[in-house]
Amino acid sequence: MTDFCKLVNMPENDKQGLSVVTCTAPVNIAVIKYWGKRDEDLILPINSSLSVTLHQDQLKTTTTVACSRNFQQDRIWLNGKEEDINNPRLQSCLQEIRRFSRKRRNTGDSTSDASSVSHKVHICSVNNFPTAAGLASSASGYACLVYTLSQLFGVESEQLSAVARQGSGSACRSLYGGFVQWKLGTQLDGKDSLAEQVESESYWPELRVLILVVSAEQKSVGSTSGMHTSVETSQLLKYRADVVVPSRMEEMIRVIRERDFPAFGELTMKDSNQFHAICLDTYPPIFYLNNMSHRIISLVHRYNQYYGETRVAYTFDAGPNAVIYTLQDHLPEFVQVVRHFFPPEVNGEEFVKGLTVCSADLSEELKRDINMEPTPKGIRYIISTKAGPGPCVVKDPNHHLLGADGLPKKSAISH
Amino acid sequence: MPENDKQGLSVVTCTAPVNIAVIKYWGKRDEDLILPINSSLSVTLHQDQLKTTTTVACSRNFQQDRIWLNGKEEDINNPRLQSCLQEIRRFSRKRRNTGDSTSDASSVSHKVHICSVNNFPTAAGLASSASGYACLVYTLSQLFGVESEQLSAVARQGSGSACRSLYGGFVQWKLGTQLDGKDSLAEQVESESYWPELRVLILVVSAEQKSVGSTSGMHTSVETSQLLKYRADVVVPSRMEEMIRVIRERDFPAFGELTMKDSNQFHAICLDTYPPIFYLNNMSHRIISLVHRYNQYYGETRVAYTFDAGPNAVIYTLQDHLPEFVQVVRHFFPPEVNGEEFVKGLTVCSADLSEELKRDINMEPTPKGIRYIISTKVIVGLRKPTY
Repeated sequence: MTDFCKLVNMPENDKQGLSVVTCTAPVNIAVIKYWGKRDEDLILPINSSLSVTLHQDQLKTTTTVACSRNFQQDRIWLNGKEEDINNPRLQSCLQEIRRFSRKRRNTGDSTSDASSVSHKVHICSVNNFPTAAGLASSASGYACLVYTLSQLFGVESEQLSAVARQGSGSACRSLYGGFVQWKLGTQLDGKDSLAEQVESESYWPELRVLILVVSAEQKSVGSTSGMHTSVETSQLLKYRADVVVPSRMEEMIRVIRERDFPAFGELTMKDSNQFHAICLDTYPPIFYLNNMSHRIISLVHRYNQYYGETRVAYTFDAGPNAVIYTLQDHLPEFVQVVRHFFPPEVNGEEFVKGLTVCSADLSEELKRDINMEPTPKGIRYIISTKAGPGPCVVKDPNHHLLGADGLPKKSAISH
Repeated sequence: MPENDKQGLSVVTCTAPVNIAVIKYWGKRDEDLILPINSSLSVTLHQDQLKTTTTVACSRNFQQDRIWLNGKEEDINNPRLQSCLQEIRRFSRKRRNTGDSTSDASSVSHKVHICSVNNFPTAAGLASSASGYACLVYTLSQLFGVESEQLSAVARQGSGSACRSLYGGFVQWKLGTQLDGKDSLAEQVESESYWPELRVLILVVSAEQKSVGSTSGMHTSVETSQLLKYRADVVVPSRMEEMIRVIRERDFPAFGELTMKDSNQFHAICLDTYPPIFYLNNMSHRIISLVHRYNQYYGETRVAYTFDAGPNAVIYTLQDHLPEFVQVVRHFFPPEVNGEEFVKGLTVCSADLSEELKRDINMEPTPKGIRYIISTKVIVGLRKPTY
């Protein structure tokens, strides 16, 4: 089935020579984690990784890129604020996309405006989820940027993986929907370190995702420097990358294809824990899991133990928020369990956002068996979502974040 | 010779120390003989601050073996206790059969009453099984006349790390290669007098939730952690060599860094266990953070932490840095006003903290995060038995 979103669409062109394209791209959550580079410039990882792309209805980055001969310089606005266009990662993406575009034109392949790649661009990008949610937005952000630029300049999608990767490693996984692997690659130039889809988002429709947004505490160590320190100092990391992850990647692909949730869940939890173990084996040690994360982990294990099977699985990235995987049949009860043991603020904001979750009753036996003290307001809110597609072009010109003047529309500033 | 009165009652009392590992033991290759998957190395602490005292009485009039721990009678049929009693009696009989003994020929077949107390509270979370079993085994050996070379194996079968409490100073428990565990023994690396400037602080953290016990925890780790085998086979052997070297060179920065790394790796293995085990809590994290920031301020490792299967921190430092670091702890973990004495054990001189240091550490104080501190040092050996 041809993905309509992937059709190359020619940018709007008006008499001022202003081309505008708007696209959206998803967030992805790794179940086999990427942590550590073998090449810092090309952003090549020390191990492969695998993720689930989340649905853009709940979480997405929207990016508008405008290109005009009248623009003096490249500029970028992120979530309403102008940022430094000279950020090396941004520059990397812009240069790479322009290089691919020139190469394409030189092979006579292009039908786009011959001069556009040498024009300057204005970029405006917003997320529909708050930064405070602690969801790494660099993956969706760079994926969206790269995808939008490719639509503008007419670059083929196969080359985008490498470009997105050089913006932010995990961004390459946000270029596809469903279940995506980022292959480690063997070449020194990284040309084979690419993302590819394992299965589409429609392969496992019962799979559901909850993001438990924990009350923000202290600032964490950033991923880039954190993983660098891990590579430098953790003696266990090399063993993880060389021995453990390769076999886990095979197993993960197999259990996804078999739609074996208990095995998928257990492996997901183990890899999350091993990632955080590596952080602890780093010097100085890095702690991303806080007390609330520990309680959530404890809750999941007790819940699964009550039923004698893995019905729910957690995974944590470089922060305290939990991402929970489960099947839709278990969703109402587990959300109720979370509500019970992490009672939200009374008259606070909506506790469950995103996809509707049916209500459910909890048996006294279950509550008694879990046997944990409730932690009021420990979780700020939950986003309920599922697997979703890769990046899309937004056709409606009303949704452009930049106006005809090439500057952010008022509505694009803070959401 | 133990006291012997006309009722045929023999009594011996001994004390034994606590030890804190700097290269950690976590995981067995044999659950019955308590043989570890890797060697470990510890520092034996001074008994003035921390010790177990055990009295063993033996009489033909006793009906059965009995044991009281910290005032409460416990089950003598605990397999580990039984293991120790049987092993000691076996060694004693063997010794008598070789005509070596001058003790009362019938005592090994008499029943014993054992009473044991710690001079530190159980709530302090300091693993007392090491000092407890070391003391029991040592006291029994005095009673029954068993040579000290054989005690390592007996203590080990009570509680693995107990064998390290049979020696003072810096002690290694060698992994061993034999299946019967006869070469899995503790031996002294260097005595206490070797590094007199080394000082130890135990930061007793406010008690929170109950932790997973060591025995079951390490068993689950062996079963489920893929990183543990690599640690045991590759990482620890080279760290043991390095640790012995840095102790012999009295190289505190290297000793401190290696100690912290091994503590962290032990807890990393716990996290890589399934289900994961969390011994470090929020307070432990803050203490770790404080140590790194303090060392960073001075541009060298002056203070090192290590954590066992619980949230309490054991801090190693040199006596020159002790007063300032204790003051730093007092500043960032202000104790209860009018609460119990904050620093127990060896006296620590007062010290002033510069504003620059406090500012640079840049942490929010955590009132009452630490209940109290025990200040101690390394000890040379077991106290002679008293009669």
